[in-house]
Amino acid sequence: MSTSPENLVTDEDFTLDPAVRRRRLWHYFRPYRGLFLAGAFFLLLTNLMAFSIPFYLGEGIEFLRDGLSEEGLNLDAIRSDVIGVAIVIIALAIGAGIARVFSRITIFNGGRYIEFDIRNALYTHLARLTPRFYGSIPTGDLTSRVTNDVTHVRVLYALTYLHIINTLIAYSIALYRMAGVDLYLTLVCLAPYPFLLLAIRKVIRALFLQTKVVQSRLSDLSTRVQENLSGIDVIKSYVLEEREIETYGESNDIFFEENVKLAKIRAMLHALIILIASTGTLIVLVVGSHRVVNGPMTLGSFVEFNGYVVALVFPTIALGWVFAIWHRGLAAFERVSELLEHTPALDEPHNDPTPLPDPSPQRDVGEISVKKISFSYDDKTQALDDISLHIPAGSTVAIVGKTGAGKSTLVKLIARLYDPDEGQICIDGVPLEEIRLRTLRAEIGFVPQEPFLFSMTIGQNIRFGIDSLAYDPTLDKCPPDSPLLSTAGEESAPVSQDERIDEAVEIAALQGDIDGFQDGLDTLVGERGVTLSGGQKQRVTIARALLVDPRVLILDDALASIDTHTERRILDQLKVIMRGRTSILLTHRFNALTEVDKIFVIEQGRLVEQGTHDELMERGGAYADMYHRQKLREQFDE
Amino acid sequence: MSHDDSHSTNGEKEKRPTGAAIGSAFKEDSLDTFSDLGLVYRMWTYMRPYRWLFLVCLLLLPLISAVSLVQPWLLQIAIDDYIVPESLDGMWIILAVYAGTVVGHSILMYAQQYLMKYAGHQALRDLRQQLFSHVQDLSSSFFKQTPIGRLMTRLTTDVESLEEALSSGIITMVGDLITLSAIVVILLVKDWRLALASFTVVPILLLVTLVVRHFLRKAYRATRVKIARLYAHLQESITGMEVIQLFVRENVSRDEYRDINSEYRDANIRSIRWDAILYAIIEAVGSITIGVILWYASGPTLQGAVTLGVLVAFIEYMQKFFVPIRDLAEKYNLLQSAMASSERIFQLLDTKDQIPQSDNPKTLPDRPFEIEFRDVHFGYNEDEQVLKGLNFTIHPCERVALVGHTGAGKSTVINLLTRLYDVDEGQILINGEDIRQFELRQLRRQFAIVLQDVFLFQGTMLENLTLGDESVSLQQVQRATEMVYADRFINELPGKFDFEIAERGGNLSSGEKQLIAFARALILQPEILVLDEATANVDTDTEALIQKAIEKLLEHQTSLVIAHRLSTIQRADRILVLDDGRLIEEGTHEELLEFGGHYSKLYRLQYATSSGEDGTLDNAVQARG
Repeated sequence: MSTSPENLVTDEDFTLDPAVRRRRLWHYFRPYRGLFLAGAFFLLLTNLMAFSIPFYLGEGIEFLRDGLSEEGLNLDAIRSDVIGVAIVIIALAIGAGIARVFSRITIFNGGRYIEFDIRNALYTHLARLTPRFYGSIPTGDLTSRVTNDVTHVRVLYALTYLHIINTLIAYSIALYRMAGVDLYLTLVCLAPYPFLLLAIRKVIRALFLQTKVVQSRLSDLSTRVQENLSGIDVIKSYVLEEREIETYGESNDIFFEENVKLAKIRAMLHALIILIASTGTLIVLVVGSHRVVNGPMTLGSFVEFNGYVVALVFPTIALGWVFAIWHRGLAAFERVSELLEHTPALDEPHNDPTPLPDPSPQRDVGEISVKKISFSYDDKTQALDDISLHIPAGSTVAIVGKTGAGKSTLVKLIARLYDPDEGQICIDGVPLEEIRLRTLRAEIGFVPQEPFLFSMTIGQNIRFGIDSLAYDPTLDKCPPDSPLLSTAGEESAPVSQDERIDEAVEIAALQGDIDGFQDGLDTLVGERGVTLSGGQKQRVTIARALLVDPRVLILDDALASIDTHTERRILDQLKVIMRGRTSILLTHRFNALTEVDKIFVIEQGRLVEQGTHDELMERGGAYADMYHRQKLREQFDE
Repeated sequence: MSHDDSHSTNGEKEKRPTGAAIGSAFKEDSLDTFSDLGLVYRMWTYMRPYRWLFLVCLLLLPLISAVSLVQPWLLQIAIDDYIVPESLDGMWIILAVYAGTVVGHSILMYAQQYLMKYAGHQALRDLRQQLFSHVQDLSSSFFKQTPIGRLMTRLTTDVESLEEALSSGIITMVGDLITLSAIVVILLVKDWRLALASFTVVPILLLVTLVVRHFLRKAYRATRVKIARLYAHLQESITGMEVIQLFVRENVSRDEYRDINSEYRDANIRSIRWDAILYAIIEAVGSITIGVILWYASGPTLQGAVTLGVLVAFIEYMQKFFVPIRDLAEKYNLLQSAMASSERIFQLLDTKDQIPQSDNPKTLPDRPFEIEFRDVHFGYNEDEQVLKGLNFTIHPCERVALVGHTGAGKSTVINLLTRLYDVDEGQILINGEDIRQFELRQLRRQFAIVLQDVFLFQGTMLENLTLGDESVSLQQVQRATEMVYADRFINELPGKFDFEIAERGGNLSSGEKQLIAFARALILQPEILVLDEATANVDTDTEALIQKAIEKLLEHQTSLVIAHRLSTIQRADRILVLDDGRLIEEGTHEELLEFGGHYSKLYRLQYATSSGEDGTLDNAVQARG
């Protein structure tokens, strides 16, 4: 959570081969190279005009000086000459301004287009990455890559391009013109610039690093507040307020100290900018005055020369920024492209995908055969160890076992959130890896252990799956239109989605809850909307899964927060709804198990028993043991 | 939009799911009004302790303006007195002074910037601290009504916006104003006609700037709203990616995201336009002034009324004139948002929603304690009563179990006992005295509360067990952990008592957290133990351990248990059965069974249906509810 200054060194490490990095940078730049090229052209234009102004100013001064020093000239003519020069200057200033507007618009727009593309590419890619990936990267890290780092990359493209091109052009023009005025003075004037540039580069780098430190301290502080606020009742009950205030104070002090360090660096930067801004003029004054008096320069060219020196101040400071932005941007780009290059752990079928057989009144579907699969999340501990089992089409089965035995892992493999390390899973006779991933998922209704709802309305959450079926042309499944509780075997008349939703709401025992909300199904879930209870959330996720008419319905301990009465009712109705298709139940409660077709008992990643409740009880193995231990303890309690 | 084209092939599938996209519950806060002067005064109270530092900063400002503004004047002297007459004798003094002003300007600027921020950050640190302390004292009902997100914003984002205003140098606005007026005076004194001519550009510039800035601000505001939506969508997609994938919703989400993203891009492109115009105007205006000055000065110069040195100095001054003007506008915006933030902060600080404290609290009566709820009525909000005349007594060393279905008011009993909330009607008494008469923290120290959701913080195991109380010896801690069987797993942890517990105990199992909470309660040696039994899924072995630990915990102890486990309920001295905010039955397990009322129904239902691993009464209880 907290980033110590030492960790920031990672910013310095570039792992990508520079050639590869260049190619990738170019890849995003390419579509907009015309924009950027136009931008460079406008920069050239604006600088050409802007750097003419000192020349005309010098000219004007010379006219005036001539008019003053030499007797008998036509002052009116000189005056109109000077006014002519003044008009040219104003025109140049306006022209330079207009060109500058276009240079910034083209280049910055280019940056925004690139940012837009990268953000879209990232999102599309993130949607393809698997749970294995999401489990391997801290959320904070991921979030900062897709937010801050993308911003840094945009700045890398737009700002560094602008400043580098601008500085290059400005320096070329200025040096050319300065050397034309007085080569000696030019060399003297530029002598301190390398040192100033070096100094400003250093200070700005320090500024960037310290800013990061301050930001991470700030996030420490926010974490403290968050932790405190979410546990405030407990803190009060235990009278821990003083302790909390004290620890917050410590973080607050550290934050203050880092801020003071940052303030020092900022102040240094201010001082340095003043030095850069004035040093050139000082040298022009010291050396130039001699050059004017001793001959090679005129007063006009003295003023002109100073004009160039002043005009170079901003590009010099900007160059100092560019180094820092460049560095930060490249590091950010590497982190972003690391994400983009991450290959999803699941392969789509190499050959033509095999379609799943359609269900028909004659043919039950949802047959699952698991053949000798082993799986490990981390290559160290086996989550599943050589499991084989067969779930007949159209059956309802249960998987039981202790927490951590591997039940959830097994069903996640069936939904192909992960691929097994060894072995194979087939659904209706087709190996999973030969089915298009999204075709498979569209056939599975998964109700996860932790109900996750999106901050949309309750209705939108319930329609979450069917909305996608209705929208996405790449899916070969359309939203089902048969009523959920249709009678078996008979072709029932199609119904509207709204009717099906009403049905699902009824089945999931949500009607009462929804009636209690002012906006009904349109009530927003989320911080400012209604926060649903655990049981309500679970029932929404059940409705969500039922509506897609899955071939296989998986309830991963999904009824835990629902009372037994409602559980019983939901399970009874499931039998009707899922007729001809398969349901898999993972549960800690044994009361539902007497009526399932088959029970699989898993212990430490292995299948130890299977059979109906009665068979398993008769067998007197692990299942019976679990059941008896439960009963024993109850008796013991009396 | 491009994605729409790709769908035209399929007539049925072109309708985007209606309504809001993921993460659309985003909304901004509204504001009430405070007087500006009042806000400034409130801010001043935080600056006061550091007023000498601020004073030094303020005094440095005119000095900085002076060294900076003396430079064009020196240039003027150099040109008029030395370069034009072509005699450099004695010019070194001018050069030396010029060099001096450059160095001096640098140093003064460094000192001013540093001191100002040093002082400012101290003031803000104090403000942060006060804010945090203040929030600790607010009542639970305040927290119930206020979303945590909003409070977080007060304590973080709003203070940050003050910080940003500070580091951008809002105080140097004073310096800017000094510089501006100094330039105006200097130029008027030097040559008032030329001065007025030079300033003709200023009103036009101001007007144009104001107009452009108005559009720019609107455009910026739009980008902020869009990026908040973009990030909300992204954040939620990342968290819920598994669900998105399981419901093959990737393409819907992607297209939603692309739409928000393009709105964000377009908002930015609008703001780039205004930003570029503003930037160009500011750049160009300096050069335009050069032309204007040259134009107006040509006549007077040729007549000898204005020297060349003055002309050059005018040009230099006018360049310096536009820098603060540009900054002022920017800083003014920051100042406004800082004002808005400070207003919200002070509103929070003025919230006096606290549990009322007695002015001269009584000391707690002699132990042991007898607790009585006497006709207690209570509701979290006015139209919904949770407790409706609750009466019961807990005698010293008695073990009392509270039973009832969800919503019966069990947790509320605890909340009232520890005065997280005060009763609406009736009284809670300790040895016959109303608990509202005692000092609040003194009262709360009499209890040890073990809640279902165990509160753990980032820190070592030891710190979490002792709650940071250093007077507790390691032996005491060890004995406590042994008694509740927590020693076994602690000894297996790396570092044992020095084991670093992650935020919210993320690196411990729920069973382990329970055992830690038990040990903690033992260490506290409370007069009254309050236990809200957790019903989390733990495996059978841990469950057995927890049951044994609870038994140890409750030995010889006055205790109130919100019980879910049959074993805990059966061993209670007395069971209180709550229903709908009232006490409906009370007695021992056997008595209640014999009575054949509500409790026995609950019990039979449990016995008939439960074959669950953890053997809780909860299922049965909820089945009724």
